[in-house]
Amino acid sequence: MDPLLLGALASVCLVLLLLSGMPVAFALGVTAVLFLLLHNGPATFSIVADTLFASLDEFALLSIPMFLVMGSAIAASRAGSDLYEAIDRWLYKVPGGLLISNIGACGVFAALTGSSPATCAAIGKMGIPEMRKRGYPAGLATGAIAAGGTLGILIPPSITMIVYGIATETSIGRLFMAGLLPGLMLIGLFIGWSLIYARIKGYTFVEEDKHFSLRDKLVILPKVIPFMMIIALVLWALYGGVATPSEASGVGAMVCILLVMAIYRVWRPRQLWQIISSATRESVMLMMIIGMAGLFSYMMSSLYITQGIAEFIAAQQLSPWALILLLNLFLLVAGFFLPPVAVILMTAPTLVPIVLQAGYDPIWFGVMLTLNMEIGLITPPVGLNLYVINGIVPDVDLKTVLIGALPFMLCMLVGIALLIAFPQIALWLPNHLMGSAL
Amino acid sequence: MTLFLRTVEGLSRLLGYIAALLLVIAITVVCHMVFNRFVMNLPTSWQTEFVTYTLLASTFLGAPWVLLTRGHVNVELIPMMLGPRGRFMLALLAYAVSALLCITLTWASAGFWYEAWEAGWSSDTMWGPKLWKAYLAMPIGFFAISLQYIADLICLLNGREHPFGLEPNTPPETT
Repeated sequence: MDPLLLGALASVCLVLLLLSGMPVAFALGVTAVLFLLLHNGPATFSIVADTLFASLDEFALLSIPMFLVMGSAIAASRAGSDLYEAIDRWLYKVPGGLLISNIGACGVFAALTGSSPATCAAIGKMGIPEMRKRGYPAGLATGAIAAGGTLGILIPPSITMIVYGIATETSIGRLFMAGLLPGLMLIGLFIGWSLIYARIKGYTFVEEDKHFSLRDKLVILPKVIPFMMIIALVLWALYGGVATPSEASGVGAMVCILLVMAIYRVWRPRQLWQIISSATRESVMLMMIIGMAGLFSYMMSSLYITQGIAEFIAAQQLSPWALILLLNLFLLVAGFFLPPVAVILMTAPTLVPIVLQAGYDPIWFGVMLTLNMEIGLITPPVGLNLYVINGIVPDVDLKTVLIGALPFMLCMLVGIALLIAFPQIALWLPNHLMGSAL
Repeated sequence: MTLFLRTVEGLSRLLGYIAALLLVIAITVVCHMVFNRFVMNLPTSWQTEFVTYTLLASTFLGAPWVLLTRGHVNVELIPMMLGPRGRFMLALLAYAVSALLCITLTWASAGFWYEAWEAGWSSDTMWGPKLWKAYLAMPIGFFAISLQYIADLICLLNGREHPFGLEPNTPPETT
């Protein structure tokens, strides 16, 4: 059968299974096993187990649960709220300061966890009630946090970048570094929009009743700095090529657990179990998707579907601009329906060769893909961050959050456009610090 | 029947604890490896491979527990749009297809494991462990997920649990 037709059938099958509400991992698995069976017959069975094992038999994957443990150790203790408090104490005098400090706090927390829903939940729990108390409209407060939370997968460390790095065999350290400036750019765009909105609506947000002395500002630092130091050290070890992502994050996980035990007296078995079990749950879920997606892409390439799609696109003689536009549109739509890790694993092995052929940089493409995934996190029907916010403030309906998040989504689109126009935003830092890739 | 459901739940929870424990072991071994390499200047030997297999085992053994606690991410778009009857039918289909996959994978991975065990395959590294030890987690994990799915199907049929674990009064999404 024609590979393209076969590919279309496999896609339809996958979409139907996904829509049935079965776990994403199993929908990928069923499609893969079904099409392999039709193609190879019973010989499939031994291949399936071998492929599934092989797609998870990768040392670098260990960095995923390790970063998850770091994040859940910080989230389970009071570290999140101390961080929030510290940023507020330092920034409260800036006009619209609370909003800016919330977006900033999202950025910093993103650097601590590598996960978007975690960032959203940690900052949102403290930030949204505080902003509403001070008169910020619910839509703006929730929208800002929903959008700020998405920075989790862009600012290093990032779980999705690890997955992209492994799926496309690009350097995880380089990807991490490439996400930093675009992350700061997004923070800038978010803050810019918030200030413009505040000006238009005539909100002043003066917080005269609040005063923090220098002592107040300094006294909170010792609680926050150790965690910042760990992240800085983990990233330094990664970039310096001193250690692999798994080694650096493994030590980081251990140190984070020891720190929350020392600073926040988190030592009861129940509290420690909470840290480990939430990281285990997330890790199992992600690893299952990664394994089944490995099976899926094995099926796609052994039935020549991947190659068929690549040849088809190459035959269209698209201009590089049209190609990038098309790919963005495709990723954006995929991101509306699927979690980022699933989109990356399903599409990256097919798309990256096409992108390379068109003369683009795979690191840059990874960053752009991540930006598209961020938009998917704050759009229905499966915008994870929207549901996280909804869980924190059930009295604000989903529609208000969505409308509040809309302008921030436009900021992200502007970010993508800037990234396409100026690829150096992503590539300058890794190329400058680690030398050119090619 | 209750005994079966309780046993399955107990097994899934037990495997969940083991999966978490394996993760703790992985953290410890990685730290040990880093210490050896950077402080003692010793070459790494077995640790890289060991922790990779540990994470694999944690994944397969933890999967039934994650299913029990509804941690496997899914797309709830259509289930949220359907009424109670449609939701029930769709859940029946989704659970059954997933169960079928897990049973197939139990069988496939058990065969794969047996092959490795009988032929005495070992990994082609310096450490060179017997591979059946690493593969063992796969059939055990998928067997337990299959059981958990069967238990879920039973609970769905006799009304102990709502389809997809969604509260019945979850309003059909209008967006």
